Amino acid sequence: MRFTATFHVRPKAEVRDPQGEAVSSALRSLGVEVASVRTGKEIVVTFDAANTHKADEAMRMMGNELLANPVIEEFSVDLKEAVSA
Amino acid sequence: MTTRVALLRYPGTWSERDFAHAFSLVPDVETEILWHEDATDLSRFDAAIVPGGFSYGDYLRAGAIAKLSPATKALRRFAEDGRPVLGSCNGFQILCEAGLLPGALLRNASLEYRCEWIHVRVEREDTPWTRGLAGEVLRMPIGHGEGCFVADADTLAEIESEGRVVFRYVDAKGAATLEANPNGAMANIAGVCNPAGNVVGLMPHPERCAEELLGGTDGYRVLANVTRMLVGTGPALYRGKD
Repeated sequence: MRFTATFHVRPKAEVRDPQGEAVSSALRSLGVEVASVRTGKEIVVTFDAANTHKADEAMRMMGNELLANPVIEEFSVDLKEAVSA
Repeated sequence: MTTRVALLRYPGTWSERDFAHAFSLVPDVETEILWHEDATDLSRFDAAIVPGGFSYGDYLRAGAIAKLSPATKALRRFAEDGRPVLGSCNGFQILCEAGLLPGALLRNASLEYRCEWIHVRVEREDTPWTRGLAGEVLRMPIGHGEGCFVADADTLAEIESEGRVVFRYVDAKGAATLEANPNGAMANIAGVCNPAGNVVGLMPHPERCAEELLGGTDGYRVLANVTRMLVGTGPALYRGKD
């Protein structure tokens, strides 16, 4: 089975996000009353697994071992069975 | 007796030749630059260096992809054997990502790439790289965009209480002030070590200040320690090239 996992990786709430702060100040210069900005990244992984359980395991491993650094980041992930072409 | 030093080169590493040059100034040291895919066995070396640069273009996070390279797996075994490892700049980032050192290195608080001379105070002497340097204020260059050391509160308390901060950003007089901190690092931390003390990482570049021509020799004092590991003594002061 083919799956698509969409990872959303962002700095932990207690970790400062200088990039977000810079974007926040730039948005204010556009005249928008921005309270705060947090930045992150989206990573879309397409992969094959025997079943949903295996896909779930692989997805957690990818997130914990590489895609996010647990010291500074957290992630959420949306797993879907890919629609075959 | 010759001391053999491995210099690991990942795609995007750029400081390995500077390290080779700096070590060439230290008597009885031989270096070998190893391509990361070929560095699967480091057992013939006495010490290993993870130089700076932009391994894998800093993709994903600085050091994140390098941690899965064959060289890093070999390095992990080397470190577990208690052999001396030094990571500078991107090398420090790789060691943190690999879990060989605690914490992580974030984008500088200023968002600026900082390229300048700074001072660090040596906080711990019983590592392979800082013998004879206790309390010394060293002047070294930095060049990084992501050097802001962070760790969660428990980890920070642990490394402070275990004396695992090896280098701290200070002013020229040795005071750890806000102004002396170039990147926003927690507790002015510029370098740390693992629990055993044999793996050390730091953001500054000792290899770029190992001779007078480059404006300073304090890096030589760190790197020359490599010869003390085997024989118990070594050149503590810069002697220059004969």
